[in-house]
Amino acid sequence: MENYARKLAMKVEKSALTQGLIRCHDCGRLAKQTSHTNHCPLCDSRLHARTSNSFQRTAALLLSGVSLYIPANIFPIMTVSQFGVGEPHTIVGGIIALIHSDMIPIAMLVLIASILVPLLKLLGLGLLLLCVYYRWQVNARLWTNMYRIIAFVGRWSMLDIFMISILVSLVDLGGVAQIIAGPAATAFAAVVVLTMFAAKSFDPRLIWDSQQ
Amino acid sequence: MSKTDLEACAECDLLLNPARPALGEKARCPRCGYLLQRPRKQSIERTLALSIAGLILIFPANLLPLVGIKILGNTRDGNIWSGVAALFGENMWGVAVLVFLASILFPLLNIILSLLISGHLYFKKPNPHLARWMRWLQHLDEWAMLEVYTLGIIVACVKLASIAELKFDFGLYAFIALLIITGMLSSSLDEYLFWRHIGELRQKVGHES
Ligand SMILES: [Zn+2]
Repeated sequence: MENYARKLAMKVEKSALTQGLIRCHDCGRLAKQTSHTNHCPLCDSRLHARTSNSFQRTAALLLSGVSLYIPANIFPIMTVSQFGVGEPHTIVGGIIALIHSDMIPIAMLVLIASILVPLLKLLGLGLLLLCVYYRWQVNARLWTNMYRIIAFVGRWSMLDIFMISILVSLVDLGGVAQIIAGPAATAFAAVVVLTMFAAKSFDPRLIWDSQQ
Repeated sequence: MSKTDLEACAECDLLLNPARPALGEKARCPRCGYLLQRPRKQSIERTLALSIAGLILIFPANLLPLVGIKILGNTRDGNIWSGVAALFGENMWGVAVLVFLASILFPLLNIILSLLISGHLYFKKPNPHLARWMRWLQHLDEWAMLEVYTLGIIVACVKLASIAELKFDFGLYAFIALLIITGMLSSSLDEYLFWRHIGELRQKVGHES
């Protein structure tokens, strides 16, 4: 692997963009940059040297995600009713209930997927935006790795949503026992989708562009 | 060698000489560590075989009951569809649509697109839609969440185990088999190789006409 690295790198480290080349976002082929907007010769997708409006789109999606994160945690995500007595659960409440019934590993799993991952994702994307905006001189490789982790873990937050869809369909015995999804489920699902889109619209090459 | 025969890293835009890694090796960007290429043994053949297996398994995994519960003499079976239907019934249509897309439609499209693309490449049959299908497949990939859904089943079962009697149905085994197949499918598909073949097929058509 090490000799690959040596063979791969050009003598001087240059980015494709500074050489007038654009890498197709979809198929990876290089094309010459021209004045008019053009399409990739191999796969026909529109060529952009960098994801278009990456900063603005990521910032907008991130802010929507942050504002929906509040109702997602305040309102009940599901209501468990037994013999007509309903007990609403928030995300945190559900985790506490799991701890009380001695299901610690599952409680940890839900804690990571529903609380830690979304929080760290919102925070991490915010930091990445600040880094690009203020052109911080950072260890770009480290920050790119942080971006990769954020982009990878996002989908696992859907755990709670899938779990609720299963519980809602199984526990539906009318007055005896019933589980109903709450308004926080919609808000939380929106947070997951918005932050996944935010991670996708952030272009990690911007970190490298701002390094001198 | 023309400038466009070079390569650029997707995540740091470093200009690179094309790598020629052997089977089982990985070529990474020397600057940021991005995985550039990961050649697989018989990538096209394996992708074709696995997508056929996935297409067969997706029917029992979707249609048969996954888990059943018994509370106070009442029994209920559930599968992916009943979860979507229950959410729709409670007017949670946004969440219902999301669950439907991530656990039913996108995994299905993923398998169909893999089948179409690898089938065309295997029989060296050009098709003007190949590049579009490949682009769709790449964008769809992260929205098909069968493995997250499986974890959701496990957590739901643990929660229910204390209040109800659980029964695992045949659909669950089909679902787990489907999960393994789709995991193998995405690791057997070598995007770099696929794009190269799509480009070659396109050139072939260009020369003939
Ligand atoms: Zn790189």
